[in-house]
Amino acid sequence: MAENNSTVESNGDGENLEISSEIGNSSNSNVVVNENDAAAIEAITRKVQDTLTVGGKKHKFWETQPVGQFKDLGDTSLPEGPIELPTPVSEVKQEPYNLPSLYEWTTCDIDSEETCAEVYSLLTNNYVEDDENMFRFNYSKEFLRWALRPPGYFKSWHIGVRVKVSKKLVAFITGIPAKIRVGDVVVTKAEINFLCVHKKLRSKRLAPVMIKEVTRRVHLENIWQAAYTAGVVLPTPIATCQYWHRSLNPKKLIDVGFSRLGARMTMSRTIKLYKLPESTVTPGFRKMELRDVPAVTRLLREYLSQFIVAPYFNEDDVEHWLLPTENVVDSYLVESPETHEITDFVSFYTLPSSILGNQNHSILKAAYSYYNVSTKTPLLQLMNDALIVAKQRDYDVFNALDIMHNESFLKELKFGPGDGQLHYYLYNYRVKHALKPSELGLVLL
Amino acid sequence: MIINIMGGDWQEITQSIIIGLIFSFLVAKLISMVISIKDANLKVTREQEDEDDDVKPNQESTSLPEVKEEEEIIESDEKKKKSADTTTRVVSESDEDDYDDWEGVESTELDEIFSAATAFVATAAADRLSQKVSNDVQLELYGLYKIATEGPCTSPQPSAIKMTARAKWNAWQKLGAMPPEDAMEKYITIVSEIYPAWISGSSVKKHGGVKEGNDSKRSMGPVFSSFAYEEESDNELKMEAIHTSAREGELDNLVKHIESGVSVNLKDSEGRSPLHWAVDRGHLDIVELLLSKNADVNAQDNEGQTPLHYAATCDREAIAEILVKQNADTDVKDNDGSSASDLCESNWSWLRK
Repeated sequence: MAENNSTVESNGDGENLEISSEIGNSSNSNVVVNENDAAAIEAITRKVQDTLTVGGKKHKFWETQPVGQFKDLGDTSLPEGPIELPTPVSEVKQEPYNLPSLYEWTTCDIDSEETCAEVYSLLTNNYVEDDENMFRFNYSKEFLRWALRPPGYFKSWHIGVRVKVSKKLVAFITGIPAKIRVGDVVVTKAEINFLCVHKKLRSKRLAPVMIKEVTRRVHLENIWQAAYTAGVVLPTPIATCQYWHRSLNPKKLIDVGFSRLGARMTMSRTIKLYKLPESTVTPGFRKMELRDVPAVTRLLREYLSQFIVAPYFNEDDVEHWLLPTENVVDSYLVESPETHEITDFVSFYTLPSSILGNQNHSILKAAYSYYNVSTKTPLLQLMNDALIVAKQRDYDVFNALDIMHNESFLKELKFGPGDGQLHYYLYNYRVKHALKPSELGLVLL
Repeated sequence: MIINIMGGDWQEITQSIIIGLIFSFLVAKLISMVISIKDANLKVTREQEDEDDDVKPNQESTSLPEVKEEEEIIESDEKKKKSADTTTRVVSESDEDDYDDWEGVESTELDEIFSAATAFVATAAADRLSQKVSNDVQLELYGLYKIATEGPCTSPQPSAIKMTARAKWNAWQKLGAMPPEDAMEKYITIVSEIYPAWISGSSVKKHGGVKEGNDSKRSMGPVFSSFAYEEESDNELKMEAIHTSAREGELDNLVKHIESGVSVNLKDSEGRSPLHWAVDRGHLDIVELLLSKNADVNAQDNEGQTPLHYAATCDREAIAEILVKQNADTDVKDNDGSSASDLCESNWSWLRK
């Protein structure tokens, strides 16, 4: 990666251009370590210093954005809350940002089968891969329609970039509106996702202008905050979470390189280790239906209220996000056989990945833990039933972050730590202390 | 007298007023200059932001072999037009068909080198010890950079007071409609003249060889994670070289061990024979070799499992068939009371007699 850790600036008399380094600023920042978040801050500080020493990397773009800054870490005098006040919508820049001359903006109508196929194709061939380029996310078209059309969505936030001449879609970024509660305050924010630039256009620097453009369009709807995730440390994560994986089909995972077999371990024993019962164990465990929406909404609201950052779902949201959709999202609940009360809830979404360059397998079918609520059934048992259902449905692996109460079941249910960390960010909102993953109640797709 | 005095005063007063006006004008001018310089700084900073790679999306390692590109599932525009009504399927097709679409659009080698050069300038410039580059050269680089990344200058001329901004604007403007490729080449040439060694510098390693593996995680959006550790090893396990050869599928080594007199049925500390290991890892050739050397097809490990149990658990049908043909006993039960067919999830009708 390029390190642009310098600014061109003029010196005192304005005559000479001088290029100076500002590396000192961030690495010298004072970090006040509190007992509670000592570990979190230390971890972040270490990372900041690592990036500074290894890459000499600074975050020029993000330092100008209204986001929590590294230099403010641990500075308790700064208020928690929005960093910039909203401006009148009429003062928001009305014209799109300029793209390099060969490209043009397009709004991607995801309802159109043709456009959806173009977006699918762009993402399937160019979106996120693992470190070793063995896997690439393969979000299905149905998934994209689900992810991009929640209640109250804005078509104008589904932004594409086309080549002027050929009209080929070469880049994409999206936002969706979501009511998110931070502490006691519920604010509609934008969730930014699916930033993707075609492989052949790397080093064309399209990403920054795309982020600015989506921000502009979010502002035009009078929305001033956003939530997003990244695998990289930017200024400044509100939480740093860890992915965990539970093998459902260990042989395939080993064959395709998703997991590795220790030299002194046998395949036979590994397969035995991950074996699951044929059917679920909790009485009253069944698939969620439309009629369950009010009960599930109540259950989720109550449950999510214990986390510091969580979505604030109404019934429309629950119907959209959690009502089962084939190969997109699955939700199960526990209906008490006696009282018929809905007491517990478990859900996961389906995100396959392309397996690159394996002769025997082309798709890795992964389930991702979504929102889970346990009131009567122990969470461990609930999740075990979710694993059983996923295994029945031929998923290869079940993934979960260590957010909410997930940590309580990960080890016992034989999840193993992943090599991927996911950092959560808020745009135009400062939190005083980094959150522990267990204080986070938000899942971004 | 009075008039005279008055007259003299008037002159003095007028004079001092004029001087005062001129002075305050100059002060105001000075202040506005200072401010405009600051403005200019901010502007430059913002322009430079665009170069920041923090925010670049998932971008690909160029180490991907060419073959992969051809295997890519990309729907060509042409194809799409033909089958606009049936676009639900993705047609696997070589991206190369799209060559014309990409001409002048895709990142070229020049883009890569230019990108590396700009990165190098940024890093080198950050190094206080690096030699100072003259103002003129810096302005020239600036102008070329703008042409290469944004094209001809179309923004209005900044006021003459904003000297820095004006100088930069001039540097950009005077290049007129220079093609971006020429600008990139010129930029690279200048950088190479100032820092002849830059191409072997660190930033080139990154861009030439290119990108480190973890590039995909340096992006906004989700993360692809896989297992960080291998499936736990049994550290207590003691095994011999012959087991290792069978496990790794090293036919020649295995033959050597057997020829040097190592028992073909030698057990490791878990009671596994080389045949168990070969079946476990799915090495058909090793299985055949071991059987031809009279390996015990019904050897049981410490859990009472035979190689056939392993084949059934690991869903290795071809190997299981060979074992059965070599008279493996399908009725042997392990310590849990399971036969091979109890452990088999696939439907091997030939196994369930």
